[in-house]
Amino acid sequence: MYDRKVRGDLIAGNKTMEDVTSDVLRPIESAAPKWWLVAMALSNLALLWGLYSMYLTVRYGIGMWNLNNSVGWGWDIINFVWWIGIGHAGTAFSIFLLVLRQKWRTSINRAAEAMTVFAVMCAGLFPLLHMGRVWNAFYVVPYPNTRGPLWVNFNSPLFWDVTAITAYLIISASFWYLGMLPDFGTIRDRTKSKIRKSIYGFFSMGWTGSSRQWQRFEALAFVLGGLAAVLVVSVHSIVSTDFASSIEPGWHTTIFPPYFVVGAIFQGFAMVMVLMIIIRKSYKFQDYITDSHLNAIAKILTFISLIMGTAYFTEIFIAWYSGNKYEIFTFFHNRITGDYAPQFWIMVVCNAIIPQLFWFKKVRSNLAMLFLISLIINVGMWFERYNIIVTSLAKDYLPSSWATYSPSIVEVGVFVGTIGIFATGVLVFFRYLPMMAISELKTVLNLNEKTEHKEIANK
Amino acid sequence: MSYMSDERYIGVFDNEELFDKAVQTLKDSNIDIEELYMPVPVHHAVKNVAGSSRLPMFAYIIGIVSMISILGFLYYAAVISWPLNFGGKPSNAFPSFIVVTLVLTILSVTIFSLLAFSVSAKLYPGKKTEIFHERAMDDKFIIVLSKVADAENVLKMRGANEVIKKI
Repeated sequence: MYDRKVRGDLIAGNKTMEDVTSDVLRPIESAAPKWWLVAMALSNLALLWGLYSMYLTVRYGIGMWNLNNSVGWGWDIINFVWWIGIGHAGTAFSIFLLVLRQKWRTSINRAAEAMTVFAVMCAGLFPLLHMGRVWNAFYVVPYPNTRGPLWVNFNSPLFWDVTAITAYLIISASFWYLGMLPDFGTIRDRTKSKIRKSIYGFFSMGWTGSSRQWQRFEALAFVLGGLAAVLVVSVHSIVSTDFASSIEPGWHTTIFPPYFVVGAIFQGFAMVMVLMIIIRKSYKFQDYITDSHLNAIAKILTFISLIMGTAYFTEIFIAWYSGNKYEIFTFFHNRITGDYAPQFWIMVVCNAIIPQLFWFKKVRSNLAMLFLISLIINVGMWFERYNIIVTSLAKDYLPSSWATYSPSIVEVGVFVGTIGIFATGVLVFFRYLPMMAISELKTVLNLNEKTEHKEIANK
Repeated sequence: MSYMSDERYIGVFDNEELFDKAVQTLKDSNIDIEELYMPVPVHHAVKNVAGSSRLPMFAYIIGIVSMISILGFLYYAAVISWPLNFGGKPSNAFPSFIVVTLVLTILSVTIFSLLAFSVSAKLYPGKKTEIFHERAMDDKFIIVLSKVADAENVLKMRGANEVIKKI
């Protein structure tokens, strides 16, 4: 149970329901601030560079990337896994915290869900581009065809991944949209602008807040929530089997599924923190995203950071304990020491050591530190994927095929482009969609006062 | 007392608890409530007027049906239609079908539940709708009564801050 006396109000400032509506809708109803325009311009530049790089990749083939015989997966798959990781935040927030009855999720879940949708969209681009002949992408879908019919290989984790990512994108986007229905209704009824009324009215799908609508809405949210909870675990487990079911040293480990899922939630929460601090600062939402919210995320990050550290240690221990010389080579001579040692140590320091600073209350209550450490975690998680993918591939069983790998400018461009897509999406979300679930916020208004009143009355 | 057949009385409540109690007492006195409108789901009141939804049961049934169909399809494609030899492994690679079955079952339950929601709650993109009170999605709780004798007093007595008559 959330104890207000210990953890502070969920929504500060004695707000009424009307205050909540007008506060959350203020960014939509007022003109775009200057920083927003600048940020939008920068994101669009990144997006354009990305589009040009994607054009080059599709036009001339993936020879435009610096992949070689051993490193057949490079930045594309690193970035794919990285974005999927960020994409775990939304469902983790919406569903896990819903299941655990954590009321403090209400200020955060909408933005986290938005992040999920944009991040999964970015992630999906990478395997698609990596196919080279993008126009043949439909071959991965099992459908009756004239080639036999030759079906796809249902035993391949790569096919599982296609289904998992597609399902995840559709389900998280539906869940996000569904949650916004009541808020679209609120905007439609409130706005004086005819254009806004008709656009939000169209998307509100005729929402009126009637008892029959709420009854079905809640039932559907319950069903979708329960289903998406499974996906949080399954999607990244499946991504990890892309690696774990191979025979590459450093990949062929049973720890991968839980290790990937935890890593994804870790990174997702860190990204949520980054976004929440931006929202809080730039839209002055400190009454909704209180210190207590950020404190709670920081505590979760500390805990997950310990799990990450344990996972890194377990991998190294098992490599040594197994006595397998290839595993020992990969972990001890190609990660901890060797050509790729800097990347390994950046990963350990960023993910397992620096977040330990969150043990100190002073750090947890300092916005700048929270922001910085959350960014560091995201960098660390990128290096974790670099570490897994490149070190294992660059030096495999056959020393004659060893090759070093560094990305080409086109690969970098595609990555920057996805950051542009993500940032543009998030900025559009800031400007045109309700950043917090208005109807959910209203349910936690003075929540504790109500229960405290009841307790007093019962006594 | 007589009443006009298409007259509606809209009781506007500021307070959630009073609204909830009003719905309960109206129900206890067997007064027919046409509809409630509220900015947040007041569970007790919603249940009193709309009952409980059959959507979870529908989702469950769809889940079972899709699970069986997807497994059936995988078996058909991998064993009957075009068995491929992957290094001598059996064509019916059942354990590895589980993942695809799980994910696609979840996907189809989601899609069918969304469709069922759209049909049963009568919500679809671009639908025109009648708004009884423009602050019903902001901070007012609304009870709509029709064909109820002396509706205005009935609502006022139960704590409505305002009663609007709509014809």
